[in-house]
Amino acid sequence: MVTKRQLGVFVVIVGLLVTAGTVGVDLVGAGAWSGFGPLQWIGIGVGLASLLVGAILIRLGNRPA
Amino acid sequence: MSRTLRTIGLALTVVAILVYTGYLAVYVVYAVNLFRWPFDYDQGEGFELNDAILFSQGQWPYRDNGVYPFYASNYPPLFRLLIVPLLPIFGPRLVAGRLLSFVATLVTAATIAVIVRRKTGGWSIPALSGLAFLASNYVYLIGPLCRAHMTMVMFETLAIAFIAEFQHPRHGQRNLILGLVLLLCAGYVKQMAVFTVAAALGYVFLRDIKKAVVSGLALAAVAGAIFWMLNVATAGQWWVNIIQANVNDYEYADTVFLFRQWFRLHALFVLLAAGYLIYELFWDRLSAYSLWFFFALGTGALSGKWGAGFGYFTTAVAAACLASGLALGRLVTGSWKLEVGGRKSLFAIRPLSAALRPSLAVLIPLLYLLQAPRMLHLPTSGPVFGPIARVLGVTDALVQGDCATFQYHDAIGYTQLGHLLTPEDYAAGEEILNYVRTADGPVFSEEAMFTLLAGKPVVTNPTQLLNLYNNGLLDTSEMIAMIERQEFGLVIFRAQFYPHPVLEAIGQNYTPVEHICMNGFYYHMLWPKRMLERQ
Repeated sequence: MVTKRQLGVFVVIVGLLVTAGTVGVDLVGAGAWSGFGPLQWIGIGVGLASLLVGAILIRLGNRPA
Repeated sequence: MSRTLRTIGLALTVVAILVYTGYLAVYVVYAVNLFRWPFDYDQGEGFELNDAILFSQGQWPYRDNGVYPFYASNYPPLFRLLIVPLLPIFGPRLVAGRLLSFVATLVTAATIAVIVRRKTGGWSIPALSGLAFLASNYVYLIGPLCRAHMTMVMFETLAIAFIAEFQHPRHGQRNLILGLVLLLCAGYVKQMAVFTVAAALGYVFLRDIKKAVVSGLALAAVAGAIFWMLNVATAGQWWVNIIQANVNDYEYADTVFLFRQWFRLHALFVLLAAGYLIYELFWDRLSAYSLWFFFALGTGALSGKWGAGFGYFTTAVAAACLASGLALGRLVTGSWKLEVGGRKSLFAIRPLSAALRPSLAVLIPLLYLLQAPRMLHLPTSGPVFGPIARVLGVTDALVQGDCATFQYHDAIGYTQLGHLLTPEDYAAGEEILNYVRTADGPVFSEEAMFTLLAGKPVVTNPTQLLNLYNNGLLDTSEMIAMIERQEFGLVIFRAQFYPHPVLEAIGQNYTPVEHICMNGFYYHMLWPKRMLERQ
């Protein structure tokens, strides 16, 4: 059984990966837009929302997810 | 006071059920109208039927597209295989696939209603949840088409229903196995069921990690073995046509547009399902239904792929109707647990006051009634629908096709589907069919039904050819050589989805002779130049 805390840690990791990936694509020159593209803003939004949800879940402790 | 509320609530519930039953009636009228229509209504229907015919003849539809008849399918086989037993009854006609798809939507709606009923009791919310699915513009538009999509949604819904009960004290093991088999079926109807597979296995994982790993491995092994066998049996054409040909351009703006449209049309169901997901995430345990709703958004996110569209949201519509029904049902039964960790908790919210509960009898049907006009769609002419459309004030808000104005209104706005066929459409279809029957040689047609009805071979699947061409996987030399030799007695264009060199070769060797308006589209008849020279 997975707990809220464990699920929260997973969601935080996903959020970090999405955020890092969204910012990182510019470093490798991918994408069709110069600067920060609209898809990247969506990615940042999803990443930050995941971090927030994950942080709240971690606070909920060992209750079953 | 509470008796008055109950009386008003009962009246509103009856009205809500009548309104949603009205949507069901519109859906049935549309479906029956399509069952009679022998030609493609949506481009691609005839190709799905052709796949079934090939299967019934013991042939694979996964072939080399560079070799005559330049035809292959880009979808898995199960929907087509389910049509095969219907072919002896209906003949090689689209009604076989259309009926199958229509029944699949009814089964999906019934499954949603049964789940809500079993989980929350009562009759009105389960009935409205199931009817709401059939009232969705998206389900209405593609439900009775000879397309695989709604059969996939049916298998997905049934799979979630069984997987959700995998910890049932007596039938847990049976439910899990049945759920996995249904997931396998969904995936072999259409590849995008992968999101429902993720939701189902994710749910099992949250509750029983070992079972989830074993189930996931078993499912992957069986699905992988079938995949491998199909690839071997088709000499690698399965991989080329199912996987490589489906790597298409993606336009994020289309996805954003469709997400907004989906929300605008289904606001009540989406908001309630999202609220239910948040509630379960923080205050309760995540259910298979909420997880399914969440993962179904992933399917919707793929809607910006070339060749996709609003149909990619039908899984999310089913999940939203189901989760919203559960949310409302639990409100009625008072089984929401809103306190966590006592008063000091960050999330401590006072439980819904019991005094407010009677007002739900009014509020819930009212919400369904407020949602109903957001999805408005109906024919606007005829002895029944004409007066209704006038009362609703949509007589003049019609859908405009390429060459006809459809006597049909849809809250979606522009749509190529949904309208009823007219006698002029039938006459136009016969006119095109006459061209096909009298053609001097095979017919290079963008739709399959003309050639199937004329007893001629189906040549080309244009979107598949274009997908392969765009991915550098199509050798057009034999096709272009045949076009240059003017071996095809007739070319029929509708959307001109062929690869550019093919269109160019046709332009140089064929001449338009007539443009026929059918089903709101111009069909362009092109004869080989040799025929005109002869005259």
